[in-house]
Amino acid sequence: MKRIIDAQLIGPFAAMAIVALIVALTTERFLNPSNLSNLSLQVCIVALIAIGASIVIFAAGIDLSSGSMVALLTMLLAEALKFMRVPLALAAPLMLVVGALLGLVLGVITAYGRIPAFITTLAALIGFRGLALTMNNGSPIFSLDPALEPLFYGQLFGVPLAFFYLVAFYCLAAFMMNFTKLGREIYAVGGNPAAAQLTGINVRRVRATTFVIAGFMTAVGALLMAARLNSGSPNYGQTMELQAIAAAVVGGASLAGGRGNILATLMGAMTIVIVQNGLNLNAAPSSVQNIVLGLIILLAVGVDMWRAEISEILSKLFGRSASSKAT
Amino acid sequence: MSVEATPLWEFVDITKAYPGVLANDKVCIKLLEGSIHGLLGENGCGKSTMIKTLSGVQQPDSGKILFKGNEVEITDPQDARDKGIATVFQEFSIVPTLSVGENIFLGNMPRSRFGMIDWKKIHSDAAAVLKEMEVDIPTEAIVGHLSVGEQQLVEIAKAIAIDARMIILDEPTAALGMDEIERLHQLLRKMRSRGTAILYVSHRLDEVERIVDEVTILRGGRVVRASGQTEIKIAQIVKAMVGEDIAEHYPKEHNATGDIVLQATGLSTKSGVADATLILHKGEVLGLGGVLGSGRTEIARALFGVDPLLKGEVKLNSKTVRFRSEMEAIQAGLALVPENRKFDGLFFNFRASGNITAASLGRISKLGVLDLKAEERGTHKLIEELEISKQAEEKTVNYLSGGNQQKIVIARWLFSDADVLIFDEPTQGIDIGAKIAVYKLINALTRAGKSIILISSDHDELLAMSDRIAVVEQGTIKRIVEATKLTHGDLVRASADIPHQPATVAHA
Repeated sequence: MKRIIDAQLIGPFAAMAIVALIVALTTERFLNPSNLSNLSLQVCIVALIAIGASIVIFAAGIDLSSGSMVALLTMLLAEALKFMRVPLALAAPLMLVVGALLGLVLGVITAYGRIPAFITTLAALIGFRGLALTMNNGSPIFSLDPALEPLFYGQLFGVPLAFFYLVAFYCLAAFMMNFTKLGREIYAVGGNPAAAQLTGINVRRVRATTFVIAGFMTAVGALLMAARLNSGSPNYGQTMELQAIAAAVVGGASLAGGRGNILATLMGAMTIVIVQNGLNLNAAPSSVQNIVLGLIILLAVGVDMWRAEISEILSKLFGRSASSKAT
Repeated sequence: MSVEATPLWEFVDITKAYPGVLANDKVCIKLLEGSIHGLLGENGCGKSTMIKTLSGVQQPDSGKILFKGNEVEITDPQDARDKGIATVFQEFSIVPTLSVGENIFLGNMPRSRFGMIDWKKIHSDAAAVLKEMEVDIPTEAIVGHLSVGEQQLVEIAKAIAIDARMIILDEPTAALGMDEIERLHQLLRKMRSRGTAILYVSHRLDEVERIVDEVTILRGGRVVRASGQTEIKIAQIVKAMVGEDIAEHYPKEHNATGDIVLQATGLSTKSGVADATLILHKGEVLGLGGVLGSGRTEIARALFGVDPLLKGEVKLNSKTVRFRSEMEAIQAGLALVPENRKFDGLFFNFRASGNITAASLGRISKLGVLDLKAEERGTHKLIEELEISKQAEEKTVNYLSGGNQQKIVIARWLFSDADVLIFDEPTQGIDIGAKIAVYKLINALTRAGKSIILISSDHDELLAMSDRIAVVEQGTIKRIVEATKLTHGDLVRASADIPHQPATVAHA
């Protein structure tokens, strides 16, 4: 446990706690049980996609494609369910496979085709939404399957299923990143790809694998998105990729790779959603929400970048000697 | 040089503290015109801090700076340059995509009447500077295309172009081959004769012995030997740096046996290896000697499967092998400790454990799940054995000294149990204590029956630690000789002007 709950979690957790405290103090309805369970619904999709986004970032990549992939996958699911009469029990797992395959394509192009991840996934961001628009003449498809909605809104022991999804997938991801060979290799590739190569790590395969994971998690998010609205639409998932990246960054992941904690990404996603929720409850317009989100991202990275200066100021204020070294 | 002469620069009682560390404690240095002053000490002794103060990068907490006897302040790096101090940092500050001329005048490009950059003047002035240095590099050449040695000379040309009266050189020879070092030293001697004050910081004590006129030695942030208090002899200097007598600088053990482990015949690659042939025995240290760019590193890369073979054959334990990548070489029991531990060796996002087990993840995992207990145990054992700083268990490796970092990179291959280890410049930029630790490690490895290919530009080290030496030139191995039958002079000659020398020894 010591290994998972490390220093990298303290900052993001503190940030989330502070934000939650402020919202709780200023907004009466925030702590209502109904609002709290609504919160887990709100955070669920973006937090699940953020798992993939983070793992790609840990390996020093970036995935801009997830939002558009959500749209494409919901449309594929909708076509399958509504027009091809594929049963949900088959269509849903198939959708996860397709997501992983799309991730594989992006991963192979990036890792083996040596095209920067930013470019590959930017192309996918544009292209996937285009593909989604070619289906059903670009119109959404509604009322897909009565069994779909409970996937998202269902409850177990009075707790939303969304909560269980989060726990299950984050536990799995934390286990993978902290206790498996693959997790270690991902951090190694992100930290120093040249050294990883010289220590016998299959750098390209590891990089490609991160995109497969991201594609799979995006598909999970897309499935829940389709379930939430019982529909597919080429307009779903707009800016979802940016929110997922923001969650990782607010959680302290370094875009240079190699550094970050997957559980901190969950904290990052929660922080963002709590702020949005607080603003919602106070009837702030979405424009304000966007501005605040932008400021949070800047602040989160700023705190990381100015860590040395901040600790110096703190040590001067409290007279505590921080550790440093001279050469 | 007379003691009475007013120093060009005098630094008196310079003190600088960082949170938790007193990096410089009342350090005094006098820099005289026309003198090469060595500033020495182990990693962490406060040299870098001192250099930063001298070059205006930071301000001392207390102390006085005197320029020709008058108290002054050096407010920032530009101010230092204006006062005639030029610093050539270990990490170059040249722009690889610009030309030699542009780099030399970067920041103060000559302008024509209309404020446009005067390209003609840049190149003619740059050519004048290079001519004065007796360096033959075209001013239009793109710096990124030059050799490291030439880049180093461009750095120094920048200093000469601003007419620096004092030049600080931080580890100037770390990346240079023997003939390039000689060229640099000639240049420094010439500058000295013109009255320039030179502060020379280096871990290569053999060089220091040859070139400096006086030394100041730091230990733990304090001056332990001021100028004139110690003889400029390696043994004396080491003693002052480390604070104790070092019985044996090169504790060589001979563990070579007759069994052939690795046999390479007629290797050729696109990267310039041409018909290289060598044999490595069990327990042997085979040194590769030669200048930078002679093909030593390329031969290592060819053996390791990094560069594909065009021709030739490699036999490992008398079985023919053909590595298509590093991965296959590592699986077969080879290891490469790369020259540049910062760029190619270390994971700065990991603690010692992650760095040490990186090449053995398959071995310490079952069904893809890591045995973290085994990892901690193995790491702990190696940290104890190699006397690596205890901090390494808790902190990521960027907090460690160069010596500790290098030990961790080597520890990785001890943990992986590789049979053939290729060490590319294993002691570059680490202090004496850590160097000796690396030598002892080489002994321990050969004692355990491992074989080592050692690449080193430090000829004393190469001669002392190798059993046999392969002289590399133009991508091929000219001859292989017993290390005891070679001298420093042989290697320098072999490095510097072999073209004039008839090949008297048959190919090994």
